[in-house]
Amino acid sequence: MAKTVKVEVKDNKPIESIQGFFKDLLVKGDIEAILVPQHLPMKNVVMPTLVTDPEKLDGVDPLAPAFPLNAAKVVSKLTSRALGHKLAVTLRSCEIRAFVELVKLKQGRLDDILIIGFDCLGAYSNAAYSRLSQGDPRGMTIKFHENMIAGKGGVINGFEPAAACRACEYPVPENADLQVEFLGMDINQQLLVKANTPAGEAVLARLDLPAASEPPERQKVIEKLVAARTAFRDQMFSDTAQATKDLAGLTGYLANCVNCYNCRVACPVCYCRECVFVTDVFDHDPAQYLQWSKQKGLIKMPTDTVFYHITRLAHMSTACVGCGQCSNACPNDVPVMELFRTIARDTQKVFDYQAGRSVDEAPPLSIFREKEFAELTGGKD
Amino acid sequence: MINKKIGSVLVVGAGISGIRAALDLAEFGYQVMLIDKAPHIGGTLTQLDYQFPSDHCGMCKMLPLVERDASSQYCLRKGLFHRNISLSPATSLVGLEGEPGNFQATLSTRQTLVDPAKCSGCGACADVCPVVVPDEFNAGLTNRKAVYLPVPHNIPNHYVIDGDKCTLCGACVQACPTGAIDLQLARRKEFRILVVDDELIVRDSLKEWLAEEGFSVDMAESGPAALAALARNEYNLMLLDIKMPGMDGVETLKQAKELKPNLPIVMMTAYATVETAVEAMKLGASDYLMKPFDPDTLVHLIFRLYQDLIKTGEVKLTVGAIVLATGFKSYDPAGGDNPYLYGLCPNVVTAVEFERMISGSGPHPGRLTRPGDGGEVNKIAWLQCVGSRNIREDKNFCSSICCMYAVKEARLAKELSDGKVDTAIFYMDMRTHGKNFQRYRDKAEQDLGVRFVRSRVHSLGQSDNQGPIKISYIDPAGEKHEEEFDLVVLSTGQMPAAEAGQLAEITGCHLNHWGFFQSQGFSLCRTSREGIFLAGSASGARDISESVVQANAAALAASSLIHGKGGGLTEVSSTKVEYRDVSKELPKTFVAVCGCGQTLTNTVDITALNNSVNGLPSVERVYHGEKICVEEGWNELVQELRQSNANRVLIAACNPYLYTRKAQELARQIDLSPALIEVVDIRTPAFSGAVTDRKQHAQNITRLMAMGLARLREQESAPVRETHICQKALVLGGGIAGMTAALAIAAHGFEVMLVEQTAELGGNLRHLHWTLSGESPDQLLAQTIAKIQKNPLIHVYEKAKVVTSVGHVGRYLTTIEKADGQGETLEHGVTVIATGGLEAQTTSYAYGQSPAIMTQHEFEARLHDGQLTPDSLKLVAMIQCVDSREEPRNYCSRVCCAGALKNALYLKEKNPKIGVVIFYRDFMSHGFMEAQYTEAREKGVILFQYQVDRKPVVTVHDGRVSITVRDIILDRDVLVEPDALVLSTGIRAGDNAGLAQIFQVNLDQDGFFVEAESKWRPVDSIREGLFFCGLAQSPRSLAESVATGEAAAMRALRILKNESLAAGYTVAEIRQALCSLCEKCISACPYGARSLDEETGRINVDELMCQGCGACAAVCPNGASILRGQHDKQVFYTIDAALQEVF
Repeated sequence: MAKTVKVEVKDNKPIESIQGFFKDLLVKGDIEAILVPQHLPMKNVVMPTLVTDPEKLDGVDPLAPAFPLNAAKVVSKLTSRALGHKLAVTLRSCEIRAFVELVKLKQGRLDDILIIGFDCLGAYSNAAYSRLSQGDPRGMTIKFHENMIAGKGGVINGFEPAAACRACEYPVPENADLQVEFLGMDINQQLLVKANTPAGEAVLARLDLPAASEPPERQKVIEKLVAARTAFRDQMFSDTAQATKDLAGLTGYLANCVNCYNCRVACPVCYCRECVFVTDVFDHDPAQYLQWSKQKGLIKMPTDTVFYHITRLAHMSTACVGCGQCSNACPNDVPVMELFRTIARDTQKVFDYQAGRSVDEAPPLSIFREKEFAELTGGKD
Repeated sequence: MINKKIGSVLVVGAGISGIRAALDLAEFGYQVMLIDKAPHIGGTLTQLDYQFPSDHCGMCKMLPLVERDASSQYCLRKGLFHRNISLSPATSLVGLEGEPGNFQATLSTRQTLVDPAKCSGCGACADVCPVVVPDEFNAGLTNRKAVYLPVPHNIPNHYVIDGDKCTLCGACVQACPTGAIDLQLARRKEFRILVVDDELIVRDSLKEWLAEEGFSVDMAESGPAALAALARNEYNLMLLDIKMPGMDGVETLKQAKELKPNLPIVMMTAYATVETAVEAMKLGASDYLMKPFDPDTLVHLIFRLYQDLIKTGEVKLTVGAIVLATGFKSYDPAGGDNPYLYGLCPNVVTAVEFERMISGSGPHPGRLTRPGDGGEVNKIAWLQCVGSRNIREDKNFCSSICCMYAVKEARLAKELSDGKVDTAIFYMDMRTHGKNFQRYRDKAEQDLGVRFVRSRVHSLGQSDNQGPIKISYIDPAGEKHEEEFDLVVLSTGQMPAAEAGQLAEITGCHLNHWGFFQSQGFSLCRTSREGIFLAGSASGARDISESVVQANAAALAASSLIHGKGGGLTEVSSTKVEYRDVSKELPKTFVAVCGCGQTLTNTVDITALNNSVNGLPSVERVYHGEKICVEEGWNELVQELRQSNANRVLIAACNPYLYTRKAQELARQIDLSPALIEVVDIRTPAFSGAVTDRKQHAQNITRLMAMGLARLREQESAPVRETHICQKALVLGGGIAGMTAALAIAAHGFEVMLVEQTAELGGNLRHLHWTLSGESPDQLLAQTIAKIQKNPLIHVYEKAKVVTSVGHVGRYLTTIEKADGQGETLEHGVTVIATGGLEAQTTSYAYGQSPAIMTQHEFEARLHDGQLTPDSLKLVAMIQCVDSREEPRNYCSRVCCAGALKNALYLKEKNPKIGVVIFYRDFMSHGFMEAQYTEAREKGVILFQYQVDRKPVVTVHDGRVSITVRDIILDRDVLVEPDALVLSTGIRAGDNAGLAQIFQVNLDQDGFFVEAESKWRPVDSIREGLFFCGLAQSPRSLAESVATGEAAAMRALRILKNESLAAGYTVAEIRQALCSLCEKCISACPYGARSLDEETGRINVDELMCQGCGACAAVCPNGASILRGQHDKQVFYTIDAALQEVF
């Protein structure tokens, strides 16, 4: 049985071929429903849609450089209890990794789903995309991919893809059951679909597509892409670390924050039913504010903004997959993603942990290691 | 409040076993008097920082796990408080009358000349004391003063004066800021001594010495003059020369005794008349002194008599039972022949000294240096069996613990030096007879490179005093080696406690040949006298785990006795108290500041302090007391508080641990929950260092108080929740351990369901027919079964097994399948697992190929039923460690060497001509079994040591068994052709996997149940309410199985005794509305107290299992999991108060 199959692209219309693939999947793949991003008919916007009718796939466009939200949270809702039906969910690499974290946090299940991932060249912020996609959203998708593949960069009309995407080392969705590939090949000729798991293989077998193999250039293209993004990422790390190297720097970095908590709502791994910052723990007595003010003569209101971000870093940085939805959601342009990724690099490193890598790796704080932090303990206990 | 009648128990000795027994009894509800002759608790363990297998300390794990607020919850090496324990250090049992159930004990407390109620532990006295002597705490490696802290880390820590060493200079009296020291010079003046000697120079020098010590001295030059003086004056002591012209000392003694029968008289004698002096003792002399006098010895003796006389602390106490937990004394290698140059060469140290050397609180914290010259240590040798296994010194017993502590110390040396130090252990048999010991030893050898050298080192040689020490030894092959070491550690054994003889006399309990208390029959805790029980090393060398088990057993025996006598003697009030509900009131805090004498006013701007503290939120009043730690100051504070309407109390004084007991008393006195009383230490941080800025000091202290206030302000005052307890026990397994546990629980009036999977009770006991010590296992079996059958509270289910079990401590519902196939669900509050083990089967050594090859059990059975008779056998061979002590069954089964010895001696007794050869690797005749090992060798049993890589080879030809084995001395093969080959296959675990799953506990890699902690909680499981005993947990002897059965029963009774139980104030809770069910808290909980209820979709906390550690609250990101008394707000505001000047 072939692990990699080919989807022919006719008339230079890759989006339509992808739509055909999804239609096949729904008809022949023993799949009850598909979660997939579509251009919504009523408005110029791309959103995840849950489709059961094979005839309602006309707006499907997983290649659209739109990333309105991290759909891991949507999948979490769809899988919180046993469903008894198989769902196919189309996710970006960062969404898959976020979902892996949620599964480990018991906020979702892998049992009923087939994950389909696409090679990912990134996306624009919500604000930018809604401007760029005015008029011809599908044409915008094609233009973006043509530019990127031709090495022209992602700047269109002065808008750059989101910083999170430019710093992302994972353009290939390796955790997917089915991996849809176009990097290193001509998107107007063909796409490849690779099964990474037995579940993926079983579905592919039903679709009866011709076997194929990855072109050798693919690996080089990916490596080049990753190298460019890693360079961008490392610059971002050093800039951010420099900007937040002391408390004054951090306070300034977060000075725009108004405690709207949008970043926490947008964060795919912030899984708490209710954030501690909106509970009574932070309902201070009015006199307390005065007390604080008396101590220093002046305090910024609202209080607890730096504390909020530090707490979220403490809670979630080991699970941060770097999707950038925090920055996307921030109304005041606080570079939240940059800070999270910078800190997450260190916190994940000390536990030899990589968020989203595997469901078999227990989250750092849930396991007890007798000997750790040898650099602090001198290797002795 | 209900008054309950319950007994009281005296526990003598506050080491590990004494503390364990006292805590068990106190938790059950008895009043306990815990005494120790030392001025501190903890015994030997106060000096030891590391215990294997964890190589950490863990003494605190003995503290109560339920009803935790009844006791202290801090480091047990620092101190102990339990509301049912009265602790009396520096105290001895000096008299005993009465009968079991109603003893009158006389206790005598030694005076320390420092009033603990006044001493604040500041150390001003030690600073000025001119006397410098070796410090016992550091095993003499450092010095101390005559006024000193016996243990540097005690809480509370009061100075004591070593009367022997004190020169009465009085400097400390002047220096003490609290007036705590009274040298009682006037009382010494009142102590009149009559010195009788015909030689003027002796009289004069004695008078001079004694007068210098503050005593009044008169002199007499002859017997008649002495008698005349006695008639004229009252004396407290007479020193009497033996050899005097005319009336000699003995005659004078006789007449003086007639005149003054109570006068202590000390004979003075030259070497020639020592025998006369001993005779004089029989005539009533208190002691004798050898001429020429050593002033130190003389003063020491006089001082002891003086102290005996002025004992003000003598009290009489009525108790129902007594536990003797007097421990052991380490062998003194300086005595005897001293072949190892101890005391002569500074680089030869005892094991205890080595422990101090590597201790963080030792002379060179954390660094290994040569005591002689402070030089680097590169090579260390341990010499085993120093003082043990020594027939010449009449120490024909094994101290049991030294092999393992030597391995531990070698591992620690390796770890401390990053593996650089070379370590070698010289031993005869490496006795790894405890659970997990063998693998611990193997790891030392294989992973860490500790060398094990099988050789008894005869003596040490050294050319110069500081340099390396030469060890010459002969290896098992007979080859001679020489090697030099920087440091030699003597693995000194356990000797009977110094006071054992005296206590035996007072209590009437018998000692064994070596001076340890003699235990009786199959019990390790019974003495020859009813009502007096043994715990720990009082009855022979014990390790920590054994000490704890036997302390549990002794506590049980004491409890059973008192229960059997119908209750007890002391009226106690119920401990359940309800406090005033202040939850609806705004916080109002009474702040009490202790001035510590004048110290606070000297260093702090009090006006500034008052101003700033008064400005803090919730402060109702600031009260200043000069010394609230002493009784007078405390009482004054209580009076003030009674008149206050505050609903929080903040005491700013010294170490909060000092106030554990007082705060609980205060809570009751002022009817306020102890959770609302907080103590902060302003003494340590604020008073240390030179005073520069009194305003700054005021600010520092204010900050500490603000932190305490912040915690108090947000503190919850809801009452502690209780869990109902079903007062019935389920015991699984009807072997001797299970039956013992069942009988003990039933004896306390609680119902027991005893479930046995086979058709009859008895288990492995049915395979045993005689023992090494001479008791009859058959009789024990018959008697125990009869007792079970007669007891109406015990319900036996034979041919039954457990199918499922749900629930938690206090209420389990366990379904069993009975003999008839019917199910029955039993409700019980505790579970005891005693499902036993099995003799291991084997295919090694040609087992199965000849009827002449059999296991040790089979052999015993055939001898018992007459299939084999000793007369019909010429030569019997036994092979030890069959499939044992190597992977996959890499453990010692502990009983096989004893079993082999037993059967060998049995054969020799029935047929002295029979030949017996035992092939062994390390002979595990630990403890007093060593004597039988010697006996066997004396009777001609041949003990042949084999190497694990060159095992004996067994072949069978025409039914004849041949054994070929390498003799390494001869370096050639030896052939043995026995009539019978007996294989010691050891003990393997039963099939416990199902039960482990049903009760959610773990098995170790060998299939035995894993206890909560091998040393400190040896019969507890990690799940409260579930206990293990017998072979289900690890291989052990019959008497040890009985002891674990008793221990498990005691641990179970601690729960069963109560209709309801509370965990403690500090337990975890869940705010269900916030919980996202991520289950992080379940994996974080080290006590297994958390679970997900699939039906309700909620996380549950078992409050009795929760120990309030807070790991769950730490991993929970949104405060759904919280810890009482440590709420987020409390912590935030405390931090806020601490950092207010920083940010």
